Amino acid sequence: MKLKNNFVVYLVIVVLLVAPWFNSSADQIDYIPELSQEANPFYEINPCKISLFEFFNANRKSLYQDHYFFRANNKSSISCFGKITGIAVQQNNLQTQFFISVGTNSLINILLQGSIWLLLLGFVKKSVLKVNLENYLHNIAILFTAYLLAFSIYAQQRFYDESFYLLDLNKNSSYILMFLIFLLLTKNLVEAYLERTNQLINMLPYVFFIAGIFSGYNIVLFSIIFLYSGICSLLERNFSGKFIILYLSLSFWWLINSNGSFYFNPGKFRGFTNSVYEFNSNLFWIVFFLLLLLGIFRELKNNAQYFELSQFTKYFSHSSSIILLTGLISSNFPSLNFFSYYYLGLQRNVVELINPFAFDEFGIKISWRGISPSSETIGEFFGICLLINLFDIVQKSKLEKFNYIGVIFSGIGLYFSDNRTSIVIIFFVILFLFIKTTKPQLFIQVSMQRKIILFALFFGLLYFFFQSETYEFYSESLISNSRNIQYDSIFSSYLILLNNNFEQGNVLYYFFGFFSAIGYLLNRSEMWGVFFARYNPTINELFLGSGPLTLGQLYGEIKIDVLTTFLLPHSSFLSYVVYFGLLPVFYLLYRLFKLMRENKGNFMFLSLSIFILLNVFKNDSLNYFSSFLLYYFLLFIFNKRSFSTKKN
Amino acid sequence: MSKVVELCGEIPQNFEKIDFSSNPNFVFENDASYPARQLFDEEGNTVFVNSFIECDHYVSGGWGFSPVLSNELFLIDFLTYAVIFLLVVTYSKNFFKRLIKK
Repeated sequence: MKLKNNFVVYLVIVVLLVAPWFNSSADQIDYIPELSQEANPFYEINPCKISLFEFFNANRKSLYQDHYFFRANNKSSISCFGKITGIAVQQNNLQTQFFISVGTNSLINILLQGSIWLLLLGFVKKSVLKVNLENYLHNIAILFTAYLLAFSIYAQQRFYDESFYLLDLNKNSSYILMFLIFLLLTKNLVEAYLERTNQLINMLPYVFFIAGIFSGYNIVLFSIIFLYSGICSLLERNFSGKFIILYLSLSFWWLINSNGSFYFNPGKFRGFTNSVYEFNSNLFWIVFFLLLLLGIFRELKNNAQYFELSQFTKYFSHSSSIILLTGLISSNFPSLNFFSYYYLGLQRNVVELINPFAFDEFGIKISWRGISPSSETIGEFFGICLLINLFDIVQKSKLEKFNYIGVIFSGIGLYFSDNRTSIVIIFFVILFLFIKTTKPQLFIQVSMQRKIILFALFFGLLYFFFQSETYEFYSESLISNSRNIQYDSIFSSYLILLNNNFEQGNVLYYFFGFFSAIGYLLNRSEMWGVFFARYNPTINELFLGSGPLTLGQLYGEIKIDVLTTFLLPHSSFLSYVVYFGLLPVFYLLYRLFKLMRENKGNFMFLSLSIFILLNVFKNDSLNYFSSFLLYYFLLFIFNKRSFSTKKN
Repeated sequence: MSKVVELCGEIPQNFEKIDFSSNPNFVFENDASYPARQLFDEEGNTVFVNSFIECDHYVSGGWGFSPVLSNELFLIDFLTYAVIFLLVVTYSKNFFKRLIKK
């Protein structure tokens, strides 16, 4: 069946997109008043009666005015789906804001969102290669994936209690229903994917457009594919024994250490974070992370041959333009903002900042995140899009239409997101390429003597900087922030360690001081200060971590002073030290540096590694599934691959 | 949580169950502090109760139905059957494909 030509499929998609929001029980209501503070009681006494489209019809201004905010209410009944379940009025200075709660039942969400994403997947051309879907390993892997997903609901009951209406999570029958739903989803998704793998490898950037997170769930659609693949990898015994033994040893430690109970609201990390620090939940995320690593590796290994830089650049460029335009349109129309959140499976609503050029009262650019959960993460995406376009242009020595699209849209997007690190790295990459290709006299004809003088001058300046009072201030900024936020006489173990070492002025003082100075320059003093005020590891936890994607212990164990906003670590490096401890993280860094050394002639790999390393150090990127997947992909694909620029 | 607590609210302190069978002319008194509640029977008939004791009496007598609740449970059951049906279709799809090829 050629899906592209199938009118029925288009019709089904349109019906699935539109029909749920016409669900109404307002036959006994003669007149729906326009929403105002006075008319609010009407909506309060008529919950679950008016459909969303009836509401739009009665309140046309809500389609475009910026003081209406539509929010999905996942804990509403099935019969309430697509209806207005409540309205909250809030006064913000002179503006009256209306928060309109729309019924979106979690059981329906998974079926509705899953169906739409599967149908969209169907538009990708099938591969010519035959896939054996009758293989018993394939069916076992599907069953086990569905079981694992149902287990994730059981393991994170505290999170899912807030998502399900009337589905009793203490009854086995509820899990049987969840298992059946996941089985249906996994079977269809995996088989649709397997028939299109060679095309999809180049389309990876689209995961930034369709994030694929089910509303009300802590699950990403695309992770299901890799879970399946990870299980296949184990069943086929196609893995590194050393890695598995190491991971299992660490898992054993993480599990015996899971002796607390801390809840972590996933927020913008939804889909890729452990919501409860408890034995069962830790067990799930340990298995999840292992299968994810194995699965991504297996898929890349099997499909790397189909990677084409030109195709990849084309899709990257297209996705960057779609992401930017969707963000701009959705931020200006509250109604579209809601639909974007729901149908793209976003972690959070699209940014409500209408003007992406806005500056604050101090003249600092306000970062704009569009449909992404974080402005820095989308800035990295646009930055990588620029880099990839640059590689493609250099390799082909010509510009194609999609290169223009990619460069223009991602350039604008990068400016909107205000990710300065990305801007600086790209500037240096372009400068390097310029020097390499044009070879100006100034750079190549520097004598040895002059080089020595330049180095001496550089290190001299560095020495004076380290001796200055400015550096002293920088190096103590982190610890002073930690001390400010620490509550009463409660100190985290890490803060005690730092305090002791600062008093003694030993090696750790200098090391941490340097780290603190970098944090200050990157504007991370407050965030990292809060992190160290909270970080309370035992010696074993410091070196071996608390378990993959688990922030519950960090946020629940130590009480700190009340903060005006919830602050995440803002450093994947720090998050991963919490997850895996210093030893595995430093080992991974060592491996990456080794790879960089092995690839010293591979300009693309080096640029991408530096870009990723610097951004990961100062941003939470690796806590988002899409970024994690993209970075894994880029480091794998560009490693030891010759997209040499020499001939050009 | 018992059905009485679910529909009538928390049991008041010093609450004692009265045996109405000994007094067929018993009349329930309104409790000003008790918010009126609407109860339903199996056929969708409705009654308003104005005290905990009255509510307890009606719920124990079979007026413990909630149309919203039963509708939701019906929809969940319906959803379960729909998912099973779709699973059967999904699994038999490949089987029939092979059959047609043969």
